[in-house]
This record gives sequence, C-alpha cells and structure tokens, in this order.
Amino acid sequence: MEIFIDYFGLSFIQSQLPRFWNGFQLTIAIAAASMIGAVTWGLLLVGPRMSGIKPIVWPLMAYVEFIRNTPLILQIYLSYFGLPLIGLPLSAFICGVIAIASQHGAFLCEIIRSGIEAVSKQQWEGALALGMTKRKAKYNVILPQALLKVVPPIGNQLVILIKDTSLVSAIGIIELTLSGKMVIERSGASFEVFLFIALLYLILTTTFGLILRFVEIYLRERQ
Amino acid sequence: MFDVFFSNLPYFMKGAVQTVWLALAGVGFGTIFGLIIGVANASMGGGVAKFINVYVFLIRGIPVLVWMFLAYYMLPQLGLIIGDLFAVIGSLILYTGAFVSEIARGAVLSVPKHQIDSAKALGMNKFNILRLVIIPQAMKMSIPSLLNNSVMMIKATAYVSVVGVWELTYAAREVVERTLAAFQVFFGVMCIYFLICYPLTIVASQLEKRYSYEH
Repeated sequence: MEIFIDYFGLSFIQSQLPRFWNGFQLTIAIAAASMIGAVTWGLLLVGPRMSGIKPIVWPLMAYVEFIRNTPLILQIYLSYFGLPLIGLPLSAFICGVIAIASQHGAFLCEIIRSGIEAVSKQQWEGALALGMTKRKAKYNVILPQALLKVVPPIGNQLVILIKDTSLVSAIGIIELTLSGKMVIERSGASFEVFLFIALLYLILTTTFGLILRFVEIYLRERQ
Repeated sequence: MFDVFFSNLPYFMKGAVQTVWLALAGVGFGTIFGLIIGVANASMGGGVAKFINVYVFLIRGIPVLVWMFLAYYMLPQLGLIIGDLFAVIGSLILYTGAFVSEIARGAVLSVPKHQIDSAKALGMNKFNILRLVIIPQAMKMSIPSLLNNSVMMIKATAYVSVVGVWELTYAAREVVERTLAAFQVFFGVMCIYFLICYPLTIVASQLEKRYSYEH
C-alpha cells in the first residue's frame, strides 16, 4: 500500500490537501454566486427582450449577441481591469462573478426565450378561448410548459458555468485550477496533481448533473 | 478614444491570424475526429460505444483549461516534448472531438428507422446504408449545431493564453501591461473576436430556421 501511494505521488497530494480543499471551496463559492447572478440576470433580461418594443429589444439583442460571441476570458479581464477605471474598485472575486454571470445570463436569456416561444400558439389560443385572462393564460398554461422545456438546457448551461469558473484563475483568484498550478510550480511536483484537480472537477460537475436530473424528473412527474 | 487600440492594430492582427490558425487546427481536426467517433458510437455499439462514452464523459466533465494544463505538464514528463503550442492544440482537438461526437451521434440516431428499413429492402449492405442514406441526412441536420460548437471552440482558443501560448488574447494582455489602457484594448479585441464568430452564428441560426420549416 505504501509503495502504491508513493508510486502515484499520492503522499504528496495528501500533504497538499488543505490547499486543494481551500481551492475547491472557493470554486464552489464562485460557481454558486455566479449561478445565482446568471439566473437572476437571465430572468431580468428575458421580459424586456420579448417585449416587442424596438428601442428596448435592439440594444438588448446587441448586448446578448456581443456577449455570446466573445470569449469569457476577455470579459473577465475587462471587468477586472476595466471596472476600476470607471471608479469601481471591486475585489477580484466580485469582478470574476460579474463577468461569468453576465455571459451566462445572456445565454440563459436566449434559452428561456426560445423555451417560451417553443410553446405553440395553439396553447395561447386554447387558453384564451377557455375564457382565461392573458395573465392567467401566461402563468397557468404557457410558463409551466415552457419550464419543462427549459430545465434541461439550463442545466447544461450551468454545468458549463461550473467549468468556466476555472478561468478566474487568470485574474489571480486561487481557486481549484490555480491552486493546482501553484503547487506544481512551487514544489516541482509532477502532473499527477492536475489529474487530481481534474478528478475534483469531474466529481463537482457530475454531482451537479445528477441533482439536475432529479429536478427534471420531479418537475415532469408533478405535471 | 480608441487611439491605443488602433495604434497597436497591426500587432492585434498578427494575434488574430494566430487565433484563426489555432481555431482551424483545433476545431477542424477536432470536428473530423468527433464525426468519426460519433458515427462509430451510434452505429457500432458494444465495447467501442462504451469506450467512446467514457471518453466523452471525462472530457465534458472537466474544464478545457484543466485539460490544457494537464497536457502542458504531463506530455513533457511522459517524454513527449512537442512544445506548448501543440500540447494546447492537442487538447483543443480532444475537447472539440467529444462535443462533436455527441452531435454526430444524435444526428445519426435521429434518422427515421423506415429509411434504414427501406435501404435494407433495396439490398444495400451496412456500409452503403451508412454512406448513402444515414450520413447525408444526418449531416444536414447537424450543420447548425456544428457551427455553434465551432463558435464555442473559437472562443475557447482564447484560454490558451492562460497557459502561456501567444495569440490574440495574449497580445491584448501584453499591450495592456505596457500601456495600461485596459478598457479600450480588451473591448477592441473583443470586437475582433466578435467579427470572427458572429458570421458563423448568423449562418447557423439561418440554417436552423430553414430546416425547422421543412419538418
């Protein structure tokens, strides 16, 4: 057993566990904060985006398309180096969360919009023909169906969000990826450290994926 | 207002060319690789499919940045000294391949079963059914997703700058370190990325619309 542990460099990883644990916690904190931010931002955007009022829709479309077609790493740099220039000296953590939330919020806005549009027009007409008010039709007929359609793609997007938190290592937040890099560079340890980091990410994304699967099943059975 | 950006534009253009090369190599080979293993996954089953599924699961559950670092640290220690550039291109290829293989698998499986039955009734063998019936139809259905995936991977080429490979984003960071004009440089470089990615997005959404009318 000892030989096995030494052969794979596990005793070294064991000695560095507190560092990885700190990084792991920070990754979870960034992911959780960005998820809350992204979902809120996406929900806030989708109403005006679908309002049909051109002076509101056009700038929103431009924002969403611009964000979706540029790399997240540059958005992180822009918020980390750019926000202080306009008088907002925020911490690296908050800048990272703002950048991730604004990118994924734009994606979520599009996902929710296409989910609502995918509920067919007949459902609207049917609900109105039954004498429902527009408000009632929206909340009792359209949105519940849209929710079912939207949960799986939102889940995928949030898994991507978890993986994207690795990018904030570029602005010096010592989360999981950067903690691995620092351990390697300070100790000259070998690549097994990064295999371990990869395993931790895998556990994180898989667990989250399973939770989402349960949510999906729960919602489907309720309807 | 954007004077620093424009005075460094030739340098950024060099970076953009490097980014396009990275994207062509990574996304191009990755897409070909992904199409092959995706079709294999859908049509062969058994051990091959299981192996490919494990591969896809591993790649998709771990950030591309971690794969790049892994390739960057691991390959030299295993005796493969191929340089940073090829290490990150390798991880881009593997990463693209996993996503493309899922797209290809989904497209192959969505070809209606009666098409395959008719082809069998006409006396076609398995390879010809794949070549003449399944792939042409699957190809058409999967083009919009493949384009969207390419956009995602072009954006991912920016991450190689974190590992330390020079391209557009790395060039932007160099200029910012020299001039401190963070806002205009990063925003300007984002516009360059936008000009590369947005045409692909538009084509993808147009094709999506056109195919959705046909069904």
